[in-house]
Amino acid sequence: MEGQGLVNLELSDLVLAYGLVLISIALARLMRIGQEWQMLWASVRMVVQLVLVGYLLHFIFSVKNPLPVMAVLLVMGAFSLQVIGGRIKRKMPHFYRVAGTSLFIGCGGATFLFSAVIVRSSPWYDPRYLIPLAGMIIGNSMNGATLAAERLAAEMRERREEIETALCLGASGKQASAPSVRTAFRAALLPTVNTMAAMGIVSLPGMMTGQILSGTEPIVAVRYQIAIMCAITGAVSVTAYLILLQGYRYFFSDAQQFLGE
Amino acid sequence: MLQNDPVNVAAVRLEKVSFVKDGAGVAAEILREVSFSAGSGEITVIIGPSGGGKSSLIRLINRLAEPSAGTISLAGVDIRSLDPLELRRSVALVPQKPFMFEGSVLANLQRSFLYHQQTPPAAQSGEILECLTLARLEPGLLERDARSLSVGQQQRVSLARALIMRPRVLLLDEPTSALDRRTADALAGTLQDICRSRGLTVILVTHDLRLAERVADHCLYLEAGRILEEGRGAGILSRPATPHLRHFLEEPLHEEVS
Repeated sequence: MEGQGLVNLELSDLVLAYGLVLISIALARLMRIGQEWQMLWASVRMVVQLVLVGYLLHFIFSVKNPLPVMAVLLVMGAFSLQVIGGRIKRKMPHFYRVAGTSLFIGCGGATFLFSAVIVRSSPWYDPRYLIPLAGMIIGNSMNGATLAAERLAAEMRERREEIETALCLGASGKQASAPSVRTAFRAALLPTVNTMAAMGIVSLPGMMTGQILSGTEPIVAVRYQIAIMCAITGAVSVTAYLILLQGYRYFFSDAQQFLGE
Repeated sequence: MLQNDPVNVAAVRLEKVSFVKDGAGVAAEILREVSFSAGSGEITVIIGPSGGGKSSLIRLINRLAEPSAGTISLAGVDIRSLDPLELRRSVALVPQKPFMFEGSVLANLQRSFLYHQQTPPAAQSGEILECLTLARLEPGLLERDARSLSVGQQQRVSLARALIMRPRVLLLDEPTSALDRRTADALAGTLQDICRSRGLTVILVTHDLRLAERVADHCLYLEAGRILEEGRGAGILSRPATPHLRHFLEEPLHEEVS
């Protein structure tokens, strides 16, 4: 994995690249969608955030200590939790506890399995593997978690009559909410399944593209991509499953009364 | 769990039951200190204007909702000491708006058995046919998609689905709201039959004064969360004592769906 053939980008090249963003902003202005300032702000954020991350990673790679690596992973997790919270308008009860533990177990488990058992990087905390892998796993699980939580709350709201009818027939909260839970789980998995099915044909995934750009043999890059996709699928389903497993309970009282919202 | 009651123990008894509903941070008092007894094997009819708390009241009796204060007892036993899932099978509620699960009428009737991991009765079994007859439904409807039925038919499937659990108490919310006059009258006859043959206790909430007059063993008038009048038979309907009930009886739209 030498960087042979990789062209280093100079600052001037980046300025040229930024011109493309300016074109996009100009088009937004032309179309009068009224989002020019947001776009400008987003692009500035992107630059600042990436530069900071670049230096942070540079630092972490050089210290060779598991603690800062773990800290970065935790921050990533916490940030994604906050993003999920922001995206969901009508949160289920105890949202942060439910989503937080699920994300922690789902992503933590998948990341650990991936780096310790499949890749067997050494040292085990090698940030060169752990950080980007965890990033991809958390990023995808974040989407799965959002879909699961949002869908569950929506289904519970829409199916109120169905749920109460089931309760009237002696169903437990678990039985009464089973259709909602199933629908939410399906919704959470759908994007990941679609991505897997389209992979290589519709899209060349980012990690693989990156590895190929930096000189990795495409065959090796493909192997990594397959493995990470499997880890992502596992993480998304475990996270969504845990959210739903805990989540539905909060819609019912101990006496199996539907609490609604 | 629910033994035969001694004769003098009411099947259902409410003592100073209040219900406050929290909606969007605003607490609304739905029921205030409601007390009454529904006699075993009798039909207790609750009438009153929409929004008076009738539907909320029966939801408390099968514990779909929790009273803010007061006690509800079933054959002398506080319902809070019973397993809520068992309670809801002994005290079956038929909501005003019937919900049909996906699938056939038969599948809907079998549903409660599946929730309890019991083998459901087969299509031609006596149990199924009996409930269909009681609810005035044709056996030919069993294989039909439940959601394709008319609302009136769905309302009766909903009743049959409750009866098949062999409840001791039946809570009915506007059972005739989607039925034509003839079917509604037939249903009134059915209710009286079931009460006699099965010793079933019925608590019925309705706008339908004609139904109330026909079936009531005991009648209550509920307005703004309080019971303003009550009496044996449908007597309070012919001799209202309060201006509230008199005013309610004079309104022309009693059979309207709430």
